[in-house]
Amino acid sequence: MTETFHSLVKRLLDGELSLSDLPPELRGEGAEALRLLGAVDRAPVALSAEFETRVMAEVRRRARSPIRRVWRGLVEPRDIELRLRVRPWVVWGAALAAAAAVALLLTRPPQASEGARPMRVAAGDSVYVRFVLYAPTARRVAVAGTFNQWDQTASPLARVGAGGVWAITLALPQGHHQYAFVVDGAQWVPDPAAPGVDDGFGRRNSMVAVTARGARIL
Amino acid sequence: MKQVVVTLALTALVALPLAAQAPDVAARLTGRVPPEVVSAVAGIAASAAGRGLPVEPLVQKAIEGGAKGKPADRVIAAVRALSDQLAAAADALRSGGGRVDADVVEGGAYALGAGLGVKQVQQLARASHPPYDAALTLRVAATLAALGVPPKNTVDLLEGVISAGRSPSELLDLPSEVQAGVAQGATPAQAAQGLGRGAAHAPPGQPGRPPGWAPPGQQKPPNPHKP
Repeated sequence: MTETFHSLVKRLLDGELSLSDLPPELRGEGAEALRLLGAVDRAPVALSAEFETRVMAEVRRRARSPIRRVWRGLVEPRDIELRLRVRPWVVWGAALAAAAAVALLLTRPPQASEGARPMRVAAGDSVYVRFVLYAPTARRVAVAGTFNQWDQTASPLARVGAGGVWAITLALPQGHHQYAFVVDGAQWVPDPAAPGVDDGFGRRNSMVAVTARGARIL
Repeated sequence: MKQVVVTLALTALVALPLAAQAPDVAARLTGRVPPEVVSAVAGIAASAAGRGLPVEPLVQKAIEGGAKGKPADRVIAAVRALSDQLAAAADALRSGGGRVDADVVEGGAYALGAGLGVKQVQQLARASHPPYDAALTLRVAATLAALGVPPKNTVDLLEGVISAGRSPSELLDLPSEVQAGVAQGATPAQAAQGLGRGAAHAPPGQPGRPPGWAPPGQQKPPNPHKP
């Protein structure tokens, strides 16, 4: 018999939810599923004494084998206790070096990727945000917004390959920024991936929220 | 009498920092917009600063209008409309007893402009207790409303996500999740309701998505061990 339970009931069976977490209309189904599972799990399994004796004899025989003992010694994990005796300045030096390495990794800009979404790529007061627009017939593309005083010459996008994708990575301060793409110096285009807000002039601006944890289009 | 003095002191405390941020508007606009826009916007900005409203969004709106090549009268009208929205938002937030700084007022103005009511803005500002940021909540609300989610569903969804203890950054995912729902055939209201149900049922720390939701093309195969 195959019965399909609601996905929340399946999560109840996985132990991710309790019966009280389910909406009232699913609690009956949940209780029934738990009852069925409980009946299966709790069925007693009886083993004969002779079976247990045979199993343990085989285990002892294998444990005595010198070849298996050598193999286990080579491949099985084991606990190793390592005692180090170091001076405090060595510990502090290592910690500082690790912190510097982490900071270096976090502030490196990422590799290029396609898509029309700003993304978080660095940490600090400013966050690297990548702007991407697919405009195969464009001769030039720029991004203008509150972060560059709506200056369409300040942040020109560069062509990425020959597929009509344009991109630029900018370091933006934390906060909320409105922006739009400017195609060929005349056409203002909102980010196709962002819903945007009314710009007050009959069109839409896109919006990006830049936080310490990254950037997200709004 | 004592109450009047306290009220005036509190108003001054709120208004002075906002007024102090008023930059030299005319100097910033000169060369970017026509002279008549410079003088009109400087007047609007001075009036706004006097009422304790943030000035920077007004300057940015004027610069934006100039950059987009809009006629002077349209730029002035857009700046005036934004100033009115900022004033309405500040009034709503003050009377709601919430935080009234430049960022929150600006968020409130966008939410009002997107169709939310004064009471709904107050409601969302009140719900955004730390670690939630009222400015962020209001901007997300504006975006959801711009996507076509009715104001009531917008407020219900955001309050539901906050009361379910989701991380503040998960609020930022809501617009794209609504868009994903709409792409799958739901109306914006249905997508928001589905997300709200998911947020209420999923344990904290998991994204607030409706039961069974998965990104397109990433549906999990059925687990044969589950009945």
